[in-house]
Amino acid sequence: MQEGDRPDLELHRRLATGDREAFEELYGRHSAAAYGLARRVTAQDALAQDVVADSFLALWRTPEAYDPARGPFRTFFLSLVHHRAVDTVRREERLRRRTERVSNLELRTGEDVAEGVVEDAYVSGRRKEVRDALETLPPEQRRVVELAYFGGYTQARIAVELGIPVGTVKTRTLAAMRKLRRALYRED
Amino acid sequence: MNEDHERIEELLAGYALLGLSGEDAVEADRLLSDHVPSCPRCRDAVAGFQDVAGELALAAAPAAPPELLLPRIRRDVARIPLSRRRRAPVAAVAGVVAVVSLAGLSASLGNRVSRAEAQRGQLLEVMQVLGQSGADPVGLQSQGEPADGLVQVSRPGLERMYVFGRNVPAPAPGRAYQLWLGRDGRFVRVEGGMFVPDDGWVLLELTIDPTRFDEIMITEEAVGSVPSSPSSEGHVWHAFLAEAAA
Repeated sequence: MQEGDRPDLELHRRLATGDREAFEELYGRHSAAAYGLARRVTAQDALAQDVVADSFLALWRTPEAYDPARGPFRTFFLSLVHHRAVDTVRREERLRRRTERVSNLELRTGEDVAEGVVEDAYVSGRRKEVRDALETLPPEQRRVVELAYFGGYTQARIAVELGIPVGTVKTRTLAAMRKLRRALYRED
Repeated sequence: MNEDHERIEELLAGYALLGLSGEDAVEADRLLSDHVPSCPRCRDAVAGFQDVAGELALAAAPAAPPELLLPRIRRDVARIPLSRRRRAPVAAVAGVVAVVSLAGLSASLGNRVSRAEAQRGQLLEVMQVLGQSGADPVGLQSQGEPADGLVQVSRPGLERMYVFGRNVPAPAPGRAYQLWLGRDGRFVRVEGGMFVPDDGWVLLELTIDPTRFDEIMITEEAVGSVPSSPSSEGHVWHAFLAEAAA
């Protein structure tokens, strides 16, 4: 647990007792990251708002779903947002085929924090580390990670979109995930 | 074996990114259930890939949500009485997933059949269901008394049902719990729905239309038996499924 994640632990402890101030403080700390992620995945503001609202509501209803022993609250909550966003995208996809999203899914790793968003130093630093790690990936590996994570695409769909065998998608994904793990967790 | 592990880790990497479908998803579920829990290398891989997936969220640029979003969430929160908030068993649920197949009820194995690290995904799904409008957790009653945390969760329109609980007592020696679903007073045994709590924890996932049933029951039955009707011996939990009954 990094020092920058510690305030969340106390807020989460209070949240579990039904403390609405703690809930709103958690909203203040994580809503921008959550909304940015949800908007990136869904590519629609309205859907992104639904995803974030549903995620915070789920947190309110079941705060004990987060186990501090399993990692930072931020990681847990953003994973929840990501699951929900991908589910939303896939549900929408079944209703109407998206045709332009692939070209809109560039990593844009140089994106800055939007105006009006306040982040603590630790999260900002970690964000830079994640983006740097992604930048070090070969473009073809970065692309499959990007399409899966931010596009909500299955590997089978990625293969079709990129015109490559599914096996190649799998190989590139594994290679990318191993490199990211080494980079983000300083593993040898 | 190295080649096998390379293939397995390919699936686990795709799993962590929510990128699997079809046979790959089924195979990953099988591996997560049968192989990963006993394989240190694969447990490490799952944990590492899920950590990476969690951090990838930060690559998206943060964006201030609309000012109206917080008031909307406040309104939703205000509608949830504190008494309806449920304790979810993530903290101690490690190694405790029982997933139920409902072949006899035209239902299929859940999408994420898993143990170990994959419980996180299932519990996230439970939380997502809880967070959706219309979701209504129902506490099961044990012989007239509220059970300590045995809760059924479903939502209209979602063909999935969860039962999770904590501090669930162990059945008597030689016996196990059996899940039943009822309609108009008639109960149907859930095939494959026999389970025992793992250190008090239970998590069942059923891919089924919950509106087809208006009651749920858990009884204690002899291990290996195929009961045709619910037993009243030992522990019994029961609840009416409000959404279906309405």
